Amino acid sequence: MSGTGVRGMVRSPFVLIVGAVLTWFIAAFLVWPNINVLIATFFPDGSFSGRAAEKLFSSQRAMKALGNSFLLAVALSITVNVVGVFIVLVTHYFRIKGSRILFLGYASTFIYGGIVLAAGYKFIYGDKGIVTSLMVKVFPGMDPGWFSGFFAVLVVMTFATTTNHMLFVANALKGIDYQTIEAARNLGASTWTILRRIVLPMLKPTLFAVTILSFLTGLGALSAPQVLGGRDFQTITPMILTFTNSPTSRDLAALLAVILGLATILMLAVMSRLEKGGTYFSVSKVSSALQKQDITSPVANAVVHAVAYLLFAVYTLPVVLIVLYSFADGAAIQTGQLAFGSLTLENYQRVLTQPSGLRPFIVSVVYSALAAVIAVGGLLFVARLLQKYKNWVASVFEYLLHIPWILPSALLALGLIISYDHPNPLVGGAVLTGTTVILLIAFVTVKIPFTLRMLKASFASVNSSLEEAAAIMGAKTLYVFRRVLLPLVLPAAAAITALNFNSLLDDYDTAIFLAHPLVQPLGLVIKANTDGAEGVDGVANTFVYTVLLMVITGVTMYLVYGRSSRGKSKKKRLPAVPPAAPVPGPGLPGAPLAGEEAAQTAAPVR
Amino acid sequence: MRTLKTLAAAAVAVTLLAGCGGGSTPPAASGEASSAPAGGSGDTLVVYTNSNGEGRGEWWTAKAAEAGFTIEIVGAGGADATNKLIAEKNNPIADVAFGLNNMYFSQVQAEDALEPYEPAWAGQVDKELGDGETYWPLVKQAILLGYNSDKISKDSAPQDWTDLWTKDEFKDRYERVTGLGTATAQLVFAGILSRYQDDSGDLGVSDEGWQQVEQYFQNGSPAVAKTDLFARIASGEVDMGQMPSSIIAEREKSFKVNVETVIPSVGVPLAVEQIALVKGTEKKEQAQKFIDWFGSAEVQGAFAKQFNSMPVNKDAAAQANPEVVDFFADLKQQDIDWDFVQENMGAWVEKIELEYMT
Repeated sequence: MSGTGVRGMVRSPFVLIVGAVLTWFIAAFLVWPNINVLIATFFPDGSFSGRAAEKLFSSQRAMKALGNSFLLAVALSITVNVVGVFIVLVTHYFRIKGSRILFLGYASTFIYGGIVLAAGYKFIYGDKGIVTSLMVKVFPGMDPGWFSGFFAVLVVMTFATTTNHMLFVANALKGIDYQTIEAARNLGASTWTILRRIVLPMLKPTLFAVTILSFLTGLGALSAPQVLGGRDFQTITPMILTFTNSPTSRDLAALLAVILGLATILMLAVMSRLEKGGTYFSVSKVSSALQKQDITSPVANAVVHAVAYLLFAVYTLPVVLIVLYSFADGAAIQTGQLAFGSLTLENYQRVLTQPSGLRPFIVSVVYSALAAVIAVGGLLFVARLLQKYKNWVASVFEYLLHIPWILPSALLALGLIISYDHPNPLVGGAVLTGTTVILLIAFVTVKIPFTLRMLKASFASVNSSLEEAAAIMGAKTLYVFRRVLLPLVLPAAAAITALNFNSLLDDYDTAIFLAHPLVQPLGLVIKANTDGAEGVDGVANTFVYTVLLMVITGVTMYLVYGRSSRGKSKKKRLPAVPPAAPVPGPGLPGAPLAGEEAAQTAAPVR
Repeated sequence: MRTLKTLAAAAVAVTLLAGCGGGSTPPAASGEASSAPAGGSGDTLVVYTNSNGEGRGEWWTAKAAEAGFTIEIVGAGGADATNKLIAEKNNPIADVAFGLNNMYFSQVQAEDALEPYEPAWAGQVDKELGDGETYWPLVKQAILLGYNSDKISKDSAPQDWTDLWTKDEFKDRYERVTGLGTATAQLVFAGILSRYQDDSGDLGVSDEGWQQVEQYFQNGSPAVAKTDLFARIASGEVDMGQMPSSIIAEREKSFKVNVETVIPSVGVPLAVEQIALVKGTEKKEQAQKFIDWFGSAEVQGAFAKQFNSMPVNKDAAAQANPEVVDFFADLKQQDIDWDFVQENMGAWVEKIELEYMT
C-alpha cells in the first residue's frame, strides 16, 4: 500500500511526473522572479540596509494602519463565518419559506465588489443615504454620519465577502450524510445539538479554508476603508500601493507586504494544524442526500425567518441602487441625489461605442478563461497529492505555492519582467517580456493559492475508502483519479474556476505591467475611462463597467455552476458518484452566481 | 457526458500548461497578434502615455493614422507608466512615451531608459521646460488652489496655500489629499516645500517647511474616494482644494458650481507634459518622425483646440482657446528648482506618508 511518507511518494510515477512539472513551475514562476524583485528591493546597491524597518516602525501612521488591518482581519474571520454559516443554513439546511429568493439575494455579492460595492452601501447608510435620512426623521437627534469607521467597514466587508461560504460551505453541506442526522434525531438530539455536533464538524475543512480567505480579505482591505473608514480607520493597503509605485520607497512596500504575508502563512499553519487528524467524510456504507430541516420551535422559526429576510434586504439594496445609479449622470452619483426622471442610457452609449469596442472584453474573457482553467486543471493533481501525502516535502511544496499571497501583484509583475526580459534557461532560453504568454503566466500564478486552498478542502471531504476500494479492484492511479475522485470535487472545481475567471476579468495591477501592447485587456480600458481625475464621466463609467461585469460574471456563474447543479447533474453523475457525493438537495435553485469580492481574497493587496 | 467534458477540459488545460511552460507556444489569447516581442511587430509604433483618457487616446490614434503613422497607445497612470518604462529598459516594448511630466521623465532618464533626440520643433519651445536633451515639452498645466466663488468673495479668499492652515476661517474648509500618488498632489508639495529649501534641514527642507506640511494635514478635510472635489464643493462639505487648470471649466458645468483660483505672490507650479524617444527602440527612425509630427505647431494646435490645453509650442498657441492662452499669459509661474525637487520627491513622499498624514 502506498504510504504517505516521502518514500511512498517517490515510488509512484504519477507523483514523479506531477512533482517534476510542479518543481519547474514553482522554481521558474514563483521563486525566481520574486527572489529577484526582493533582492532588487532590499539590496539596491548590493548591501542590505535596515532602513525600511526603521522607517516603518517609527511611523505612527504606518503602525496604526497596520494594526487596523490586523484588527479587521481577525474581526472579519469571525463575523464572516457567523453571517456566512447563517445564510448557508437558511438557504440549504433549514426549511425556510422563499429560500430560492433568499438565495438569489445572498448571491448578489458573487457578481460585484470593490469600490462600487462600498459606494452602494454608502448610498444607503451614508450621511446622505436613504436609510439614514429615514432614521433622522424618526430620531432627529441622531448623527447622520453614524455609518463610518471600523464598524461601517466591518459591516460592509462582512456582507461583501460571504461569497466563499455560499459556494463552498454550501457545497460541503450538501455532501453530509443525511442518515447520521436521522440517527441523531432518533436518539433524541435537538435541532441545535445536531447542528453543533454533526453538521458543523463535517464542514470544518471548508470552514477553515474560507476563514483563511476572510482573514486575508481583511488584511488586504482597500476600498471599504477608503470610502467608509473616515479619519480613524484607515488600513495599510493604500500605503503599500503608494510605496510600490515609488521606486525609492519600494522596500517599504515589500516589507509591509512580507509582514502581511507572514501573518497569512501563520494563519495557514494554525488552520492546517486544527484541520489535521479529523475525519470529514461520511463513513456509512449507504448514505443518503440531505433533506431540509424544520425548525421546531415556533419562536425560533419566526426569528430565523425575520433575520433571513432582513439580511436579504441588506444584500440586495446596494445592487439595486448601483444598477439605478449607473443610468444617472456622474454628478448625481457623487452628490447622492437620484432623480428617476433623469435616468438615461447615455452612460452605456458612451462606454459601449468607444472605438476599441468589444475587443478588450474578448481579450479579457479569453485570458481569464485560460488562466482559470489552467490553474484549476493543473492544481487538481497537486491538491490531490498534497492532501494524500502528508510529509515534509508536501508541506514545503504547499507553502511555496502560497508565495503569490505574500507579494502585491504589482511586485509579482515587476519580478516577472526583470527575470524574463532576457533569454533565460528556466524557460528554454526564451524572452518572455513583450509576449502574450507572460500575462497568462502571471494570471495563473496569482490564482494558485486560492485555487489550491479550496481544492484541498474539497478533497478532504472525500471518503478515502472509495479510492481504496477502486484500487483493490485493480484500478490504476489515473483511473481512480478520473472516475472516482474527480466527479466528487467537480462542483467545487467548477465554482473555483468561475470565481477565478470573474476575478481576473477586470485585473489592472498585473496587466498594466505585462499586457502585450496589441492585446490589451479590459482592466486597462476601465482604468483609462474611470481614473485620474475622478470627473463626472469617470465615476459614471465606473458604475457602467461594474454593471457590465455583473452581467458577464452572472452569466458565467450560471453557465458553469448554476446549470450543473440543476437536476441534470443528478442523473448523469449518479453512476460514478458514491453515496457521500455532493448531490444537490431537492429544491435548490441553480442560481446565477459569481464572485467579485472573492477576487480580492486571492491576493493580500489589491 | 459531463464527466467526459470536464475531463476534456482538464486535458486541454494540462496540455496548455505544458505548452506555455515551454515558452514557445503562444496561448489562444494572442489572437491576431504575434507572440513575438512587440518591438519587432510590423510598423506599429507602441506609444506609452498617461494622457489617453477622455477620448484623447482615440483622437491621437486617428490623427496619427491620417498622417501615415500606425500607433498603438498603451495607457497607464503617470507612476505606472514611469515604472513600466524603467522595468522594461533591458528589452523595451515602447517606442515613444508622451504625457508624463518633467518629474516622471527625469526618473526614467535617471535610469538611462531614454534616447537623446532633438525634435524638428525644438526651436519653437522653451527648452528650459524639458531637459533639453531627451524629453521635450508639449503641454502646460497649472496646479492651482481653487475656491467656491459663490460662497467666498475674492477679498475674503485665501491669498496663498499657507493661509489655509494659518487662518481660522479656512480650517476644515479645504480638501486635503489622502495619498501622494498623483502628480497633482506631488506638485502642490513641490510648490510648498521648495519655498523652505534649507541644506541643513531634513531632506533639504527646513523645520518650518515641515511644520507647514503637518499643519496642512491637521487642518484639512480628507478627500473622499471616488468623490470629486467639485462634488464636495457643490454639497457644501468643503469650499476649496487643489485642481489642475485644465479640468476647471468642465467640472464647473457638471457640478453647477463656480470656482475662482488663487494666484499666490510666489506664483503657481506648472506641470509640463513631455515627449521622449525610448532607448533601444527598433523603429528609431520612424519614432523620430512621429515625434517631429506630434510636437509640431499644427498638430499641437489642433490638440489644444480640441481639448482646451495650453501648448508649449509658441506657434501652436494661436490655435488654442483664447481664454486659456490669456489665463496662462497672466499667470505668474512659481520659480521652482526642479533639480532639487526631482532629487528629493521620492523621499518627501515617503516622509509625508509616514509622518504627517493622519
